[in-house]
Amino acid sequence: MTVFVCIDDTDSLESRGTGELAGLLALEVEKRGWGRCGSITRHQLFVHPDIPYTSHNSSMCFNVSMPEEHLGALTEFAADFLAGESAEGSDPGLCIAASERMRQPDLLVEFGYRAKRAVIEMKDAFELASETGVHLSCHGGTGQGVIGALAGVGLRLGGNDGRMRGSLEIPAVDGVARVKELLEHPEVDAVRTMEGASPDLEDRVRLVDKVKTVLLGGKLVLLVTADNDPDGVVRWRSCTRQQLKAY
Amino acid sequence: MMWSALTDGTRRFLGGNGDWSGAAREAAQCVGFLEDVEDELVADETRSCYNCRYRRWTESSFICLRPGG
Repeated sequence: MTVFVCIDDTDSLESRGTGELAGLLALEVEKRGWGRCGSITRHQLFVHPDIPYTSHNSSMCFNVSMPEEHLGALTEFAADFLAGESAEGSDPGLCIAASERMRQPDLLVEFGYRAKRAVIEMKDAFELASETGVHLSCHGGTGQGVIGALAGVGLRLGGNDGRMRGSLEIPAVDGVARVKELLEHPEVDAVRTMEGASPDLEDRVRLVDKVKTVLLGGKLVLLVTADNDPDGVVRWRSCTRQQLKAY
Repeated sequence: MMWSALTDGTRRFLGGNGDWSGAAREAAQCVGFLEDVEDELVADETRSCYNCRYRRWTESSFICLRPGG
């Protein structure tokens, strides 16, 4: 089965970030042999004076391919992990959604998009979690992070929001790789231009900055833009942080 | 002048959320700049208020929460 794990509001201005904590949790899940974890995606939520957060208000979500028998152990471990590892003064929330136990996933997707544009109350999140059959829990402070945690699962399920945490390590010669080589990476499902076109497999791509994928159409997509190579040998370049800000 | 002083003692960046050069210029002069975690960096220029741990995003810009800022 596929299980989505999402955490939010685990940090403070001085602590490590929620993304790092999600990475550590994913490592622990694999170390215990419960399943294999996929990419962690970051989902930007609404920024509003009425929503308490450190400096961004984003949640982190990853998927786990695992047998159902380990779901209980994973849930218990993740809850303890969050309670023990979150920063003092944070309001951590945890959401765990198993694909085969989930009801009406469309409602979760809708909730995710609502959390990007509106202030939502905790009780609404708990009601929806109960209705859709997903685990949702608070692990310190006000527990406000449950809203972002549930929204992050919804946005991940929707498949059209967020960018990957960290960056890809791709073998390249002088910082350049062909599209077909990029597609060999297990965390790259597709290569697309910002306009949605598919470059030729033989096209060369200059890898600049941190190379990250974004979630589009349910796929991890490496976005590229036209390169200004005077010789015309390298046709594309990977997008920079600024270009990926909207994802 | 790139900032508007707020009543709670913090200040709001007047360049909005897309003044990349302005945010880099301000960070270059700031003694309290603290680079945020990699997941939250958005500006290509690493030393930018947009990449600072002390920026708190608002819908149209950000507020600087730097202690003593």
